[in-house]
Amino acid sequence: MARLGMVFDLKACIGCNACVIGCKQENSLPDGVFFTKTLSEEYGVYPAANRAYIPTICNHCEDAPCEKVCPSGATYTREDGIVMVDDAKCIGCSTCAVACPYDQRTQMEAKDFAKGLFGTGELTPFEEQGYGRYTPGTVTKCDFCSQRVDAGLDPACVVTCPTNARIFGDLDDPDSAPSKLIRERKGRPPLPEKNTKPKVFYVD
Amino acid sequence: MAIEDKVFSGDSLRVGYRFQRHWDNSMAYAFFCAEMGAGLVFVSVLMNSMPGIIIGLIPVVTGKPFFHLAHMGVPARSWRAAIRPDRSWISRGLLGLSAMVGSAVLLLGCLMFGEQIGIASDGFIVLLLKAATLVFAVVTMTYQGFAMSHSSAIAIWNSAILPLASFLYSASTGVALAMLIESEGLTLLARAQLLLLLPLAIMHWMLLHAAWNGSPGARTSAELLLQTLYAKWFWLLVIAIGIVIPAILLWFGGDVVIMRAIIAGAILAGFLAWRILIFKIGVFEPIMSMNPFSPLR
Repeated sequence: MARLGMVFDLKACIGCNACVIGCKQENSLPDGVFFTKTLSEEYGVYPAANRAYIPTICNHCEDAPCEKVCPSGATYTREDGIVMVDDAKCIGCSTCAVACPYDQRTQMEAKDFAKGLFGTGELTPFEEQGYGRYTPGTVTKCDFCSQRVDAGLDPACVVTCPTNARIFGDLDDPDSAPSKLIRERKGRPPLPEKNTKPKVFYVD
Repeated sequence: MAIEDKVFSGDSLRVGYRFQRHWDNSMAYAFFCAEMGAGLVFVSVLMNSMPGIIIGLIPVVTGKPFFHLAHMGVPARSWRAAIRPDRSWISRGLLGLSAMVGSAVLLLGCLMFGEQIGIASDGFIVLLLKAATLVFAVVTMTYQGFAMSHSSAIAIWNSAILPLASFLYSASTGVALAMLIESEGLTLLARAQLLLLLPLAIMHWMLLHAAWNGSPGARTSAELLLQTLYAKWFWLLVIAIGIVIPAILLWFGGDVVIMRAIIAGAILAGFLAWRILIFKIGVFEPIMSMNPFSPLR
């Protein structure tokens, strides 16, 4: 069975946030809810000042602390390594959210849906068709666009990225693109000291 | 790095420390109600005090569920919180709390009506129920500390001292309330309270000393509590009002009713402040500075 993971190429990321928009469209996320974010970091002093971009996402940890603490059994790991949240089982206690060292979980509140993307209280047809998949009050996060993965496609953020800064594939396959990148460019997981064994790596 | 140089990124898209915002004051009040009530039940069972057991159960069966349900996203499914005791301290605690309430109610029933059905108040059944109530009370007094310390995400919570803190605070508030309710054994309770305040102070020192010398996230939380954002609340409410003043009053005569009320109020205020502050100082560490040129790397 595959062990799906992702690599972020920091030299390629230009901070355009196309991935963020692609994710929000694919997953019909309400205003203020993100499954992926591109953080920025400024460093140096003028005239040598610079800015770097660091994409973040659920790391689909092999030793996922969110799964260990979930009291309702809503969080589980698929055979392909994707950490999922079963919307029908989640009670919205946020225990998983405080257990995630990467702060990658969001509780969907009813007001997030009610105000609509334009803040008018009216939902667009796009929102009406998309919001049905969520239960207000539950906790959600990135699932590597599991609906697309099941259809043999890459996650929306990956196909949207114009610079190929996000590389998705099977980490157990030594010939897959992410495995090669991790091997050749010394891929590093985020916060390795937390011992969560992330399946997302960064190369620079 | 000095705390004034640290970046607290909040909801912005900058790399930096992020305050945990998932467990809010509702959770702090829920934890407070459970630990205060369980502590009083624990002390009251040891002292054979029916009023104490009844009063102790009140916050456990009212405040605790009310504030938990107020926090919970889907309250109608809250029963599901009990189905994974194999891996979640929330599940274990909920089952332990339910068992404590059940055994305490049975114990009260036996003590009040046992003679009518042939159950002696010092018989085996009552002893068994007392033991069960004590065991499940200890579970209720400590599980929230285990729930917080179980995960490494928030460094200052990831400490074996937190379950001990829960137990000590729970026992201390239990003794403080028992001193108000009981009319006998006050000298013993006052001595027990003094003996609890000392390890409470040591516990704070151990937790914050370990955090100060620990990971960057734990150090940041300790700085927030000791030096910056929440320092005045910590020193005034948790240390001065919650520990020092009660200790002084107990030392100089905590057997006067008004004095006992002041001591109980001060200890409860200190404990509630601690419960709120320990949530507020929780921070997620920066996901890391991955930038190859960054000085933070």
